[in-house]
Amino acid sequence: MIDAYKRLMNVESPPPPKRARGFFTDTSLCIGCKACEVACKQWNQLPADGFAMTGNSYDNTGTLGATTWRHVQFIEQAKANSSRQDQRWLMMSDVCKHCANAACLEACPTGALIRTEFDTVYVQQDICNGCGFCVPACPFGVIDRAPKHGQFEAGTAHKCTLCYDRLKDDMTPACAKSCPTASIQFGDVEELQERARHRLAELKARGETKAELYGMPEGKEATEVGPLHAFFLLLDRPHTYNLPDIPRLPRQTMAQRYGWSAAVGVGFALIGALVFRGRR
Amino acid sequence: MDAANSPPTRGNLPPPLAGEDQARGDGGYYDYPVVRRPVWTWEVPAYFWLGGMAAGAYVTASLAHGFGSADDRRATAGGYYLAAAALVPCAPLLIADLGRPDRFHHMLRIFKPLSPMNLGAWTLTGFTPIAFARAASHAAGTGLLRGPLGALARLVPTRLAELAGCALGLTLAGYSGVLLAATNIPLWAKSKLLGGLFMASALASGSAAVTLQAARRGAPDATLHRLAALESAASAGEIAVLAGYLTQSGRTARPLTRGRFAAPFWLGAVGAGAVLPLLLHRLAGGRRGRALQSLSAVASLCTIAGSLALRWSIFEAGKDSSEDQSASFELSSG
Repeated sequence: MIDAYKRLMNVESPPPPKRARGFFTDTSLCIGCKACEVACKQWNQLPADGFAMTGNSYDNTGTLGATTWRHVQFIEQAKANSSRQDQRWLMMSDVCKHCANAACLEACPTGALIRTEFDTVYVQQDICNGCGFCVPACPFGVIDRAPKHGQFEAGTAHKCTLCYDRLKDDMTPACAKSCPTASIQFGDVEELQERARHRLAELKARGETKAELYGMPEGKEATEVGPLHAFFLLLDRPHTYNLPDIPRLPRQTMAQRYGWSAAVGVGFALIGALVFRGRR
Repeated sequence: MDAANSPPTRGNLPPPLAGEDQARGDGGYYDYPVVRRPVWTWEVPAYFWLGGMAAGAYVTASLAHGFGSADDRRATAGGYYLAAAALVPCAPLLIADLGRPDRFHHMLRIFKPLSPMNLGAWTLTGFTPIAFARAASHAAGTGLLRGPLGALARLVPTRLAELAGCALGLTLAGYSGVLLAATNIPLWAKSKLLGGLFMASALASGSAAVTLQAARRGAPDATLHRLAALESAASAGEIAVLAGYLTQSGRTARPLTRGRFAAPFWLGAVGAGAVLPLLLHRLAGGRRGRALQSLSAVASLCTIAGSLALRWSIFEAGKDSSEDQSASFELSSG
């Protein structure tokens, strides 16, 4: 009976867990070539987003989205009359963070969003019914629903898969493979974290005082969403890259919110009982 | 697919207050939003409104049936019809809003109360048949439903249906605000009271719907006075929770209080939807007969319309709030 149910509902036992894989994006090495964006689009067969000019440095991509899973930011830091040493051009290849406690995954009502054997967060395209709840749940604004009547996988949620298909065949994700400066490094998360700590120490020693890691287990940004399996070495405060100081996990405050809601409901029922009482 | 990814402008946000510019320019990435704009459309607030009203009407009718006089029971039984009727468009609205409506049943593929969306889908699935069964049972009792269906409806255990329906109905009325709040949209998530606010609004509109049908069908004065007291309590509660919500939200609430939806919010949801019905019910307090019936009916219509204005303005202003970079930084500052 249970076997028949499992066959009917396509219930399979998950593959055995493997070592956690992720990205370490070292923005100090990024040259803004956008090879990652192109490689991602090509491998994952994502359509182009048009040719809009934003007027914001070389960033004509704008944001991550349903059909854009890598996004290179360009930050021009130059004050008027400042010396050349004070002027910086920061670049950063943004991507889904594959949070240890992912808000999108917790929001998903269908179980389409799953954690894979590589500890990454993945949308099963045959399960997602496009409810759209993961979209505002993500504290980083990563995941998005493809337009309902578009050409590309209409109506379901999309984001970086960490090239799940390539991982299955022991291959490096397309963006990391194409990165010419090793700004995007792929590997076992723990090993990458170790590498990141060394790199930070090296940069600090060279005088990059504002450099910091974002998404490490010890960082305050891991308070709610946990360590990010795609984490970053930044050259300025997280806000500079539109990253929140402490990305929120909605689950943390949900009980309190239900509590207030229940209090109002119970209060109404009590008043109702009092109003109608004893009129039989 | 032209420029699908170019970031939305902040044009929908109200202009910053004088002297607020420094606080706004928080050193973010240009003025790009931190979070994504919700993709939901009008079906969602319409569903929240109808589902909440159905739940409120069911709970009100059940309270009158559990505690009230024979007059109260007779006058409020129409609430069961209203609850069932308001639930009819709910599931279609929810399904229409999906990106893949053909896969609506995937909502019930798993039971995951951690996700308010999943909890709501299950609650609606449970509440709808109970509300219909209770309405059918009443119809059979009054002789409206005859034949084999009527005989079947007579088998419905009414007291059990009322208790289970109230539990599920209150969940349906209460989860919608929590669902919006369980996101990273500043306007929805900053305060802890959105769930309570939607609950109060749902119960106010539901009891108002019961009052409306009772007044239209010429219910006894005593019953109308009791219903008015209950509805006023809900409206007063709604105003109190709303005050708390706006206080907790602070500057984050500006897309609602000063933005494009300020008029439907202040005039519709607060003025016509909560304050005016309170005054009208107070005015009706000493009256009897037709004057009482008319005043109750007008007050109830205002409450019902205001409930829609509240859901709609908070829902739409929340979309604008997603573009508020500094509010997002404030929300995630710990």
